[in-house]
Amino acid sequence: MSSFDLINMAVRNLWKRKMRTFLTVLGVIIGTASIVVMISVGIGMNEGYKTQIEEMGSLTVINVNVPYSADTSKNKEKVELNAKTLEQISQITGVEAVTPVKQDYFTIIDGRYVYDTSVMGILPETMEQMGFKVQSGRTLQEGDSMAIVLSAYALEGFYNPKLSWQYRWNSSQSIEINPYEDKFQITYDNSYGTKDMDKSIKPKKVEVVGVMNETDQNSYVTIMSLKDLEKIVAEREKYQKKQDNPNNNSSQNSKKGVYDRAMVKVTDMNDVEDIQKIIKDMGFETYSLVDYLNSAQETSKMLQMVLGAIGAISLFVAAIGIANTMVMSIYERTREIGVMKVIGATVSDIRRLFLTEAAFIGFMGGLVGMGLSFGVSKIVNVVSANMGRGDSISMIPIWLAIVGVGFATLVGVLAGFFPAVRATKLSALAAIKTE
Amino acid sequence: MSEDIIKLKNLKKIYRMGDEKIAAVNNISLNFEKGSVTCLLGKSGSGKSTLLNLISGLEKPTKGEIIIHGLHVERMNETQLAKFRQKYIGFVFQSYNLLGNLTALENVTLPLIFKRVGVKERKERAMEMLKAVGLEERASHKPSQLSGGQQQRVSIARAFVNNPEIVFADEPTGNLDTKTTYQMMDLMMGLCGKNKQTLIIVTHDMEISAYAQRIIHISDGKVEKIDVNDNIIKHSQELT
Repeated sequence: MSSFDLINMAVRNLWKRKMRTFLTVLGVIIGTASIVVMISVGIGMNEGYKTQIEEMGSLTVINVNVPYSADTSKNKEKVELNAKTLEQISQITGVEAVTPVKQDYFTIIDGRYVYDTSVMGILPETMEQMGFKVQSGRTLQEGDSMAIVLSAYALEGFYNPKLSWQYRWNSSQSIEINPYEDKFQITYDNSYGTKDMDKSIKPKKVEVVGVMNETDQNSYVTIMSLKDLEKIVAEREKYQKKQDNPNNNSSQNSKKGVYDRAMVKVTDMNDVEDIQKIIKDMGFETYSLVDYLNSAQETSKMLQMVLGAIGAISLFVAAIGIANTMVMSIYERTREIGVMKVIGATVSDIRRLFLTEAAFIGFMGGLVGMGLSFGVSKIVNVVSANMGRGDSISMIPIWLAIVGVGFATLVGVLAGFFPAVRATKLSALAAIKTE
Repeated sequence: MSEDIIKLKNLKKIYRMGDEKIAAVNNISLNFEKGSVTCLLGKSGSGKSTLLNLISGLEKPTKGEIIIHGLHVERMNETQLAKFRQKYIGFVFQSYNLLGNLTALENVTLPLIFKRVGVKERKERAMEMLKAVGLEERASHKPSQLSGGQQQRVSIARAFVNNPEIVFADEPTGNLDTKTTYQMMDLMMGLCGKNKQTLIIVTHDMEISAYAQRIIHISDGKVEKIDVNDNIIKHSQELT
């Protein structure tokens, strides 16, 4: 019997008992929909974590730190982030870009107002790759000189240094800063504008090209090119030497070509963990948002399994329904099975016919159940959006839809297996004699 | 003399009924010539139907051999039997045994479907067969919309559609009135004669035996006697 004839006959047999077929299919519909909706909520949660974390920065960026010097006591060779080790890191397969990072604390000047900020120096051409997000303007680019991307909180952070501390906050609300029109300057003198300022320190002109996004994990820092940052640091050291006031903190920065941090951009997110391990083995400490994502997903996996199991129970009940329908059907069609055997149906024809009918019930249930799942998923998302959640809490990716229908069909086949074997074991003669 | 298509050797079928053993078929040895029409005649419970079931492989004999076309039917497994039936055998039953949810045409097509004959060819052959039994206008009717005689015609068409070498008919006219009985017999004889098919009819109806070359009387599982019919009729018109 060809597959086409088989399906044709199976469908007709099911159609003949519409009501019963419909009820059995309904069981599968509910089973499939409940399992799919449950899983979709789990997936939605995972994706939610992911988008949340992605807003904080790129999932493909690894932060590399030099371990605290206290750690070197463990007979570990002291590692340095210098040109050599940075080159080694950039040679790891899968690494797209590396930038050394230096951080310092400067003051930004806008006319009468100042803003004290952490400043991060990076290679400007890597800023976009490293996943820095701006709320306006642009990221730094290759060749940018004395350009900065302001911290997300800078616009509210400027204050009048002439005022005493307690008045600064109140007045800063009313200060209007136009980041792309005002003329900005930068200085290492954090007492600029106050009566303690040293007039001999000349602030440098800077151009604001962008403002960091608040969701970014680095939203509180101002970014500038590493070269510019080092230039300012060098000037400060010169000044401090002149003042004969050696600053202990600057000892690390003063060592030229050695950095305390680096950022590594990886092409494929799946490589992040492996590359992190390689860098760790070099003696550095690493941190990436993937670490965070993994622990978040670990938690949701547990929940997903519980939800999936609840859905699985209803599909299991549906499977029993299919088996029941098929057994009933065999009782009713005993004679028919016998006749088919006598006029030349093989054992495998009979078995395949019943398996096809069971599979078809599963398939139809899976298909309609999937449609229902999309509907329920939509409703859940609309309701949750009305309740103020931005991202969808239920997501049905294409693979889940396909796997869902496939699984329902498989459940049908499995449920139909024993009834089908039973049908093939009927003696043709006994079957014909059944009235 | 033409070859024997069916050979039975010392065939025995014993049923257990509680402690009692009943020999439904007791040591029967028979040969059937190719193209012959044979009638197995006997009362109810004589073992004639059991004999037919044994020959067609529906039941396994307790002892003995069934050789059809040089093949040992008693040694075949289910799959081999199915293939064997597809190839060599057609059945006509007393109670028609048509599938209720298929049309007349589809019922006739069924053996060809199992044999994996192409859609176009099997439709043509089935339609031709329906024409031969005079039911082409009823092709799309379901069995429940047909009279008993019509259903049996469909059943006959189904038995012959594969052009089998052997056709078994188990009380084919048991449920039909006399007039229809003769129509059925004429029809079967006509179809058989065309392709030189071997026909074995089980019946308790003496009138039917007039069509057969050989009448084998069965009683208590044994061959009582074999009549050779010198006055074979091919059509009921010859009866009067």
